Amino acid sequence: MTETISGWLFDIYPNETNLTLWLIGEDGKRHRFVQDFAATIYAAGSSARLRALWRWLKAQAVPVHLSRLERKDVFQGMVAVLAAEVLQPVKLDEIFRSMVAAFPDLTYYDADISLPLRYAAAFGVFPLARCRLEVRDETVVSMTALDTPWDLEPVPAPLRILSLEPDCDPAHGEPKAIIVSYERVRYSLPLEKRVPLLINLGADLRRYDPDLILTSWGDTWLMPLLMELCKESGSMLPLNRDESQSVVERKEHTYFSYGQIVYRGRQVQLRGRWHLDRHNAMLWSDYGMEGVLEMARVTCQPVQDAARLSPGTGISSMQFVTALQKGILIPWHKHQAETPKTAMDLLRADMGGMVYQPTVGLHRDVGGIDFVSMYPGIMVRFNISPEVPRAGTDLEPAPGEPGIVPITLAPLLNKRLALKSALLTLHRWDCRRPGYQALASAHKWLLVTCFGYLGYKNARFGRIEAHEAVTAYGREALLRAKEAAEDLDYEILHMYVDGLWVHKEGCKTPADFEALLADITERTGLPISLDGVYRWVVFLPSRLDERVPVPNRYFGVFQDGSIKVRGIEARRRDTAPFIAETQMAIMEILAKAEDAEHLKEVYPQALAFAHREMQALRAGSVPVEKLLVSQKLSRELGEYSSPSPVARAVRQLEEAGKAVRPGQRVRFLYTRGRPGVRAWDAPEQPDPRCVDVKRYQTLLKRAVETVLAPIGQSVDGGKDDECRYLFPVKIAEPLGEGGTQRLDFLSISKVNNFVNGGG
Amino acid sequence: MGRTLPSATQVFMQEEAAFARFRRALRRTDQLALDDLFVSARQHLAAAQYASHALPFEVFLLAMLLEEHKEVLRLKERVEDILSRQK
Repeated sequence: MTETISGWLFDIYPNETNLTLWLIGEDGKRHRFVQDFAATIYAAGSSARLRALWRWLKAQAVPVHLSRLERKDVFQGMVAVLAAEVLQPVKLDEIFRSMVAAFPDLTYYDADISLPLRYAAAFGVFPLARCRLEVRDETVVSMTALDTPWDLEPVPAPLRILSLEPDCDPAHGEPKAIIVSYERVRYSLPLEKRVPLLINLGADLRRYDPDLILTSWGDTWLMPLLMELCKESGSMLPLNRDESQSVVERKEHTYFSYGQIVYRGRQVQLRGRWHLDRHNAMLWSDYGMEGVLEMARVTCQPVQDAARLSPGTGISSMQFVTALQKGILIPWHKHQAETPKTAMDLLRADMGGMVYQPTVGLHRDVGGIDFVSMYPGIMVRFNISPEVPRAGTDLEPAPGEPGIVPITLAPLLNKRLALKSALLTLHRWDCRRPGYQALASAHKWLLVTCFGYLGYKNARFGRIEAHEAVTAYGREALLRAKEAAEDLDYEILHMYVDGLWVHKEGCKTPADFEALLADITERTGLPISLDGVYRWVVFLPSRLDERVPVPNRYFGVFQDGSIKVRGIEARRRDTAPFIAETQMAIMEILAKAEDAEHLKEVYPQALAFAHREMQALRAGSVPVEKLLVSQKLSRELGEYSSPSPVARAVRQLEEAGKAVRPGQRVRFLYTRGRPGVRAWDAPEQPDPRCVDVKRYQTLLKRAVETVLAPIGQSVDGGKDDECRYLFPVKIAEPLGEGGTQRLDFLSISKVNNFVNGGG
Repeated sequence: MGRTLPSATQVFMQEEAAFARFRRALRRTDQLALDDLFVSARQHLAAAQYASHALPFEVFLLAMLLEEHKEVLRLKERVEDILSRQK
């Protein structure tokens, strides 16, 4: 008898013979079904070798269905392939490995694509998709998707969440208890009473039967501990909802990405239930639970993977699903090399985005204008894809069918644009705002990496020429935007890849900039938006030479009083919280001035506040936790020629028997005397009296000067006929025409006096 | 990161370093004036990058000249202004 069930697709994984599928039914029940599913691998090569492979596959114990087909390779056009449909999906990896060992000379396609992605491509579903199943005897016979990942407000799945966390950070101290909470229940289980702990936790898991176990340090500490306790006492904890499967563990690893070393801790994944670790989820702090679910929905990666994967893997997954759906082959190993270029070609092509030197100093009534998702926008609008031939940089779409990259990106980009425009119109306190923002930031990471992956030689659909084309279009678009602004008599203060900062006398409200935005869109064909109008913004010079401006180091206040800072201490992750908070508090005082003219009224308040904070630091009344510096270990300890503070802190940890891998963050305090640092996670607690107050004073002084020096200079400057800005500079001469001031840090007597005298 | 060619900033720093011996032999006052020239070339790194000229130092020289000319124009305007007030 066939029955029809609707609900949310929860999880898919292979079992001994076919796939196991979990559904959260609309009836509130959690259903387990099985489904037959075949996964196909393609091989290309000479006819003789393919015939040999055919005979070899027929002789294997695993059932396969074979056929000869023609399929499209992105780089080579149509190729003749042997398609091997493996009818027992769990055997896919095994059979492929022995195939490669027996026939290493063949070219393989679609070989290492995970089952959830294949399933998503076959049925148009994704994690938490609403779908309708027809089921006969626990076996799925048909599956229909009822929504798409691109809906702005999907019907949320009723997830049951149970949270587990230790009472302190296990890297820092010895946890005494585990805090269990779900719905309105919250209690703590002492760790020393092991048997009651397992019995109570087991009872709750059975009774509440959570869909998601959300932990803190679950991957690295809590789950391994629970499994260890089970083994010791011989009891069973129903961590998995599917008792026929065992818990999946993955090892820790370190890798290099975007010029940074990244550490991924070990992972513990469940079957029939999800386990997410707040501390081992990629970008959890940026986008939280909603972002993780969104990441899973749009990339089709299972939720437990989506939470732990990098956005780069996410964007690759999306491309794979597109390729599977369009019948495009996904090469196992890419053999595409860069085409030969002349030196002159290289000179013209091997460039990044345009980065201008800003006009240093304080500027008022500045419009911040951004291209919306510029690089993905370029790929979609101008059809940039590895397989699409391109003609010139004329800001014209490449002719022909859209390529795989634009097809994949277009719906994601449209969703982001829809979210952004929804965010603009939603009221400030609308309850949908935080959710939308989480989604938008999850998309942002995917869109940012899709550009990098276009130029990454190991990416299956990467091609350096396509990557270079994107930056070339980007430079052209930015220059056209500059020309549009200058034709309308705007002064360009700064340009940075996809944004520009402009000023024009009398332009103070968003409406004043509308004509410019329309003109830029007209000239470039790309969507552009006004980030906001600044009451004032300060572009900062280099620390080493104050005559040299630095791109993307600025702070300012928008008309609605919101603050934007880039590149200064408060934004850096290695700044001690006390210093970052002081800097932001100063910004908030400055933001109280309703325009640049009123800065002189709040400046003394800001200065006094900074002075008080400096006093507090000297008096030792700042909590030690607020002084912790957190830095990444960038290489193995032995590779340091002269150990940096972080390396010295790591040495202390290693002496205490705690291993640190490159890419891991280490928290430490600056202390007096040798070795100058104290690792926070070392066994003995540091003595607050040994904190290197002088060093923190220097750091604080620097952070305060960054924001207050330019403001002070403007405030003290008084009137100057030559300058049409309110606060010109005493000693310095203007760099450009009119509104530009050069900063001279020597002239800021007030700040210096306060720091030297007070400190 | 992943680039075949040095960026304009890197080329600029190499060129500046290449003149270290020249700079050392100058009088202190001349050294400071020379530094100003390099600072003014630095204002136009983005344009130098975009130009992708085979001989980047020519572009840097032009950038120095550009800043000098801007200064001349500014001074000329001031002189005319002062003269007109004296009349």
